Amino acid sequence: MASTTVEPRRPEPGPARRRGFVGWFDPRGRRLGGYAFILNRLSGIGLVVYLYMHLVILSLLVQGPGAWDAFVEIALSPPVLVFDVVLLAGMLFHGLNGIRVGLVGMGLVVSRQRALFIAAFVVAGLVTLVGALRIFGGEG
Amino acid sequence: MTTDQPALERPAAGSRGIPAFVVQVVTGVALLVLLALHMVAQHFIVPTGLRFYDDVIAWLGNPVVVAVEVAFLGTVTYHALLGVRAILFDFGFSERTERRITNVLVVVGIVTVVYGVALLAAIINAAS
Repeated sequence: MASTTVEPRRPEPGPARRRGFVGWFDPRGRRLGGYAFILNRLSGIGLVVYLYMHLVILSLLVQGPGAWDAFVEIALSPPVLVFDVVLLAGMLFHGLNGIRVGLVGMGLVVSRQRALFIAAFVVAGLVTLVGALRIFGGEG
Repeated sequence: MTTDQPALERPAAGSRGIPAFVVQVVTGVALLVLLALHMVAQHFIVPTGLRFYDDVIAWLGNPVVVAVEVAFLGTVTYHALLGVRAILFDFGFSERTERRITNVLVVVGIVTVVYGVALLAAIINAAS
């Protein structure tokens, strides 16, 4: 029996909206809240993937200084540092938007949720920019 | 309880009936603190952003650091897998499949935390 599970606080989908993962990328009838929903999920999936990658990489520490220090040298190279900036952006957006989702979910500042999403997006962008300058600035 | 209820309004596994949404908010708030502590302690205060082996070992000699990392691992794993569950439930599986998904994610979560703690212990033991 197929269920009709719908996410809470998800914006009303248009009649032709596709279900599941593919439906996230269907722009028909998509409003700002819809994009917030997709971005929250995509950043969340990215962070879950990163969490497991992080655990796998940290396992190198068991192999001793040779394996770990070789990894650190690679991790500090500019192409990998770009990845750190993407990670920072994902963490910031997911965290700041999460505060908005939590507040709205508890019935607080519901009328301001659009402004809060924009604020989360802008603050995440600005802090990522500062972070990127610091990350690459440190490389000289 | 029916599958007509949104995924995040149904109880989270092991939450004694507390809706998943509430668990996500509580773990999310805890993560704001724990992730900030993790990022500052493990990366921001390190001039290169990442420690070399000897510094990692010395840093893990502090039991407070280890306690924060274990708390972070447990909280982030619960929050992450509860999020994965909400996404999977959105695909509209049967109630039976949803129960299986929850069970699999509980096992994945336990394995993740046990592995992480064992890894920490192995790193600390290898150095001593």
